[in-house]
Amino acid sequence: MKRPGPLLTLLAGLLFGLFMLTLNATTGTKTVSSPYKEKSPAVSTSPTPSTTSRSPSPSPSRTAAPSGVYTGRTDDDSSAVAVSLRGGKAIAYFCDGHNIESWLQGDVKDDGSLSLTGDHGAKLNATPKGNKQLRGTADLAGGHYTFTIDKAKKPSGLYRANSQVAGAKIVGGWIVLPGGKQVGIVTRDGAPSAAPTIDPETGVTTVDGQQLTAHPVTP
Amino acid sequence: MSVDPNAATQSFPPPPPAHRAPSAARYLVPALVAAAVAVGLGVYGKTHDPAGTAFNLAGFSSTGAVKSWLASIAFFFALIQLVSAFMVYGRLPGPRWSAKLHRWSGRIAFLVAVPVAVHCLYALGYQTYSTRVMWHSVLGCFFFGAFSAKMLLLRAERLPGWLLPFVGGLVFSVLTLIWLTSALWFFRTFGVTT
Repeated sequence: MKRPGPLLTLLAGLLFGLFMLTLNATTGTKTVSSPYKEKSPAVSTSPTPSTTSRSPSPSPSRTAAPSGVYTGRTDDDSSAVAVSLRGGKAIAYFCDGHNIESWLQGDVKDDGSLSLTGDHGAKLNATPKGNKQLRGTADLAGGHYTFTIDKAKKPSGLYRANSQVAGAKIVGGWIVLPGGKQVGIVTRDGAPSAAPTIDPETGVTTVDGQQLTAHPVTP
Repeated sequence: MSVDPNAATQSFPPPPPAHRAPSAARYLVPALVAAAVAVGLGVYGKTHDPAGTAFNLAGFSSTGAVKSWLASIAFFFALIQLVSAFMVYGRLPGPRWSAKLHRWSGRIAFLVAVPVAVHCLYALGYQTYSTRVMWHSVLGCFFFGAFSAKMLLLRAERLPGWLLPFVGGLVFSVLTLIWLTSALWFFRTFGVTT
């Protein structure tokens, strides 16, 4: 007797797969963070006892913590800045498109302001200005920059790719500005150079003949 | 039409060789289906533009976490598969329902693996940018082919006794390698997070 069970199993898997595929293809909401996001610094698990003795502060009239991605240029037009915010955490990328770049991260304070730090003493501070803008300063690579950046609409945003090509560790960062212009740097084993453009819809780009995918950055 | 008068007489149509035809088909159909599935998935993953993102499940920080946990569930049921297979073959003491356990743990493992594979193929595609990723892509496609072959072989009769355990073992080994190159890597890189 022929057993139908295995066939039904295969059929169920096929239908389930097609169902998931249509769900993916039809839901336009892209709320997902990439697996290549920055690792958030390890949270110290030992609770500090001093916090318990703190008197409860009067319920703060906290402005809604900003979320989403902000992109724009520095006031001197030399570089691009992008900040991605979610759940009280922020990741920022500063990039001149040639050889100056920095990834910074940190927490969002209750009043919505950010104070982010990156490698080599890089610092970025920003405060929200209205609902749609962040205004701030960046100090890195010996320069001082000021910027006002706007809330980004897709495909404008912040993208990152980590990969290995021909044994070299590749890290790419891209800021897609409103209007579609891209500012990005690819570092090969730490050596920066201008990045090839990515397809902002898919994040696909080609580095040294190797196709790789940049993902939207979320904290 | 010229006919060789010296040709050996032959009944028409020639009688089907007693066991050869069904025998060949028994192996050929699963093998062809397996190859078609594996190659099809690979070609789709390679040619389709990776979407980069797909929808997420509530409560998880990233699709990577969701997939790693789903893959771990699948791997857990795959371990049950291994044990229950030994029970079915009488190599381990097992309950009377070990065959049922084998069937249903396999179904669950497969169905849990499907959304993971869909996300891989839809959002990331077939990639070769590192050794880990290359093996994961190759084996991921191979797995669903091998699994299809296993399912189809179950329906065939008069198979050599070693074949099903061999294919089953292959499916299990490949799933293990897939899990090692994805979920284990994810947990080691990002920590065991949800």
